[in-house]
Amino acid sequence: MNSVNVSRRRFLQSSAVAGGGMVVGFMLNSCSGSPAPLPFTKTEGGWTPNAFLQVLPDNTVRFYTARAEMGQGVTTGLSTLIGEELDVNPLDMDIRLAGVHEEYVNPAFGMQGTGGSSSIRAHYMQLRQVGANTRALILEAASRDLGVPASSLITHNGFVLNGESRHPYADFIATAQTLSIETDAPLKPASEFKYIGQDTLRVDAIAKATGTAQFGIDVDVPGMHYAVVVRPPVSRAKAQSVNFASAMSMPGVTEIFEISTGVSVVAESFWQAKQAAAKIDVQWESMPLEAVSTETLRRDYAAALDAGDGVEGPSEGDISAAMQSASITHQADYWAPLLSHSPMEPMNAVVRIEGDEADVWTGIQFPTAVPGLVSSVANIPAENVRFHQTYLGGGFGRRGTLSHVVEAAQIAKATGKTIQLVWTREDDVRNGPFRPASLMRIKAGVDDAGNLTAWDASRAGGNISPDTFRGLLPALFPRIGEGVVEGVANLSEWYFEKFVADESSIEGLFEDYDQPNTRVTHMTVDHELPLTFWRSVGHSYTAFAKESMIDELAQAAGMDEVSFRLQNTQHSPRLHNVIQVAGERMANMSVPAGHHLGFAAHHSFRTDVAEIAEVSVAKGKIRVHKVTCVLDCGQAVNPDIVRSQMEGGVIYGLTAALYGGLNLEDGAIKESNFHDYPMLRMNESPDIEVVVIDSGTKPTGVGEPGLPPIAPAVANAVYKATGQRLRSLPLQLA
Amino acid sequence: MIQFMLNGQSVQTDADVNTPLLWVVRDQFKLKGSKFGCGAGLCGACTMHVNGAALKTCVTPIAAVANKSITTIEGLGTPEDLHPLQAAWHEHAVPQCGYCQSGQIMAAAALLDANPSPTADEIDAAMAGNICRCGCYPRIKRAIRSVSENALAYDAMTQTEGGS
Repeated sequence: MNSVNVSRRRFLQSSAVAGGGMVVGFMLNSCSGSPAPLPFTKTEGGWTPNAFLQVLPDNTVRFYTARAEMGQGVTTGLSTLIGEELDVNPLDMDIRLAGVHEEYVNPAFGMQGTGGSSSIRAHYMQLRQVGANTRALILEAASRDLGVPASSLITHNGFVLNGESRHPYADFIATAQTLSIETDAPLKPASEFKYIGQDTLRVDAIAKATGTAQFGIDVDVPGMHYAVVVRPPVSRAKAQSVNFASAMSMPGVTEIFEISTGVSVVAESFWQAKQAAAKIDVQWESMPLEAVSTETLRRDYAAALDAGDGVEGPSEGDISAAMQSASITHQADYWAPLLSHSPMEPMNAVVRIEGDEADVWTGIQFPTAVPGLVSSVANIPAENVRFHQTYLGGGFGRRGTLSHVVEAAQIAKATGKTIQLVWTREDDVRNGPFRPASLMRIKAGVDDAGNLTAWDASRAGGNISPDTFRGLLPALFPRIGEGVVEGVANLSEWYFEKFVADESSIEGLFEDYDQPNTRVTHMTVDHELPLTFWRSVGHSYTAFAKESMIDELAQAAGMDEVSFRLQNTQHSPRLHNVIQVAGERMANMSVPAGHHLGFAAHHSFRTDVAEIAEVSVAKGKIRVHKVTCVLDCGQAVNPDIVRSQMEGGVIYGLTAALYGGLNLEDGAIKESNFHDYPMLRMNESPDIEVVVIDSGTKPTGVGEPGLPPIAPAVANAVYKATGQRLRSLPLQLA
Repeated sequence: MIQFMLNGQSVQTDADVNTPLLWVVRDQFKLKGSKFGCGAGLCGACTMHVNGAALKTCVTPIAAVANKSITTIEGLGTPEDLHPLQAAWHEHAVPQCGYCQSGQIMAAAALLDANPSPTADEIDAAMAGNICRCGCYPRIKRAIRSVSENALAYDAMTQTEGGS
């Protein structure tokens, strides 16, 4: 066994970025010395003090948001940060979605990406400073123009107040643009916050309630044609023969040809392209994956765990001695299946290539990669690729990958037409990339005082990071050949298989409790399925194993589930406090006869969350009536959006806990649409109460941390209701 | 040639009679507020009103709406002149990604037109055909209740429940 010992605490530090999903941080700046122009039109007579703001002559304050809005409320959150210090109400700003530029990198990643519940914490100081500096310049300009000391002026929501007189910021932009700031302006103390910490309404709600918010699929460029791709049932298979004679003669169809991922059909409308696609007969090459079914995955993972031969992750202490001296030891296996993200907006992109220039319209989490990818497909300079961000109709990690942009670019290049590529729902459910399946085995030891002394945890399955890395490589190095990309991607897979556990694959499996003896082992078992990050990444399955096991241990130790968790989280004070607050609430809950309460807590994306699920079981069906969620995410920039993210995380997680499971049969995904891959609906949705604790630290993540505790909280309640300990997701009673 | 009313205006299309209403409205009439989610009548993102009733238009052939009256989200209200449900969606901060919300609002509007004082179960039943992947259901419920004629009764109930 290859052994790499990293202390748990060091692991936690180094995994901060990997929790967001990236293996490496990298910059995608042009290598030429001069900075690229900002990717937006500067309004005549307006002032552009930096990449984030324009002040227009009519006093409109335009804010370019650098992070992708996929529902998590980031446009509201970021405009609140800059608006706080600029002294402009976020609801009064004209908010635009930024194109690609080095100024828009996520400080947490070093690239222009949105994920890992990182946006608010990463931009918390940066955007406030930008706002403060801009306001300072306006005040200095006003001071000169009005002939009064800056110290006698104050601001209020886009206006400078000079005694009784009130002047729009725009009055001073001519002077302001001649000034520059020498040192950063001071930031407001928290006690003076006007917008941060308030339940400001969402800046995007009216557009989204009136059908006027533009998503990628709504982009309509004159002369645009539509493309649908016929995809192999088994991942990555190539077409051996294609019979498209009858499809070609269907109305509106203009071209049918092979691209890297299947057979593309181009037509004058999406509907025509979809109808024609159904008439195409493809013989696909045979793939080794055809021998694989869901049962194969589970069997192969179990065999790997039994063999015990993996890569050692963060470990400390003496696990063997600790197990021997424990008064209670307990071992169990936990299963989590393949999942689809299924954002409501199916994947789509518009690509127009004209001469040596290109435009790309789509809503995605990682714009950084677009110019490089399209440049390599179209053989044009990356700096000639313009990216137009739209709202994302759900992200959840799915829009962190870019194969749809590559497909649209290939089709646009081959046809010379402006192309809107649209995936069907069936494409989305069947083709991934998927949340990997996992089999986890935990053996734990407890001493006779109820202290957790030993934690030996392993996980078998595919690795999350390398596949995503493979997709991004051509963007990083657009000039290198396909063979080199494959070589480097394979090297990274080999690296994770042989030397270092992919942090995204095991995060959350071992970090939360105080046990002095820990061993973490990762067994890479790769069946060549396309995999990627799925809301809360590794935590989406590790929390289920860990928090189920903790419940089982509490019971074995004769302790209640809250006391056991409190006793064993002394070294994690914020998690400990969240458990305490939630535990007190649970102790005071009265539930109807037949209802049972289950508890779980988990730390992810730097945030601590405890959840209590009120559950009943009738006629073999699990019903979740109410969920109480207690969290500490530090400073809640917008507490109402924090609550909405917990509600969303709980419901997304409940779909997975109660229904979620893709099944492989002969290497192909059996499910195809919402009839056989069901989503939680309103009539099944619990009441959700969210309690936000503010420990006064800087903000930590909220987009994902609400999800991990819900599956184990429900499973722990089901155990109380039925005596059945369900260790496989989705939860199904015997 | 098929003729129908679209948001109060008489329109006609020469699209193939089997083309779903959704795509005629989106592609020919360029009203992009109604969304494609599943193409199989399973998610409700494409919901419009046909003669006042909520209908999943991704599986409704255009021939089936000849001479009927269609209302889309654009016909319900605009940013300058919000329908009460759209205003409630803003006030209750309902949307997250927002992609399903046109369909949600159209389903809710048809419910309240037919039944201005729905019970909680009636709201659930009327909205069960609309999937929201972001999990906005608790807020959708709250927003619908706030616009219903029995909003005060819901307020009283919420206070005694102490939440949700």
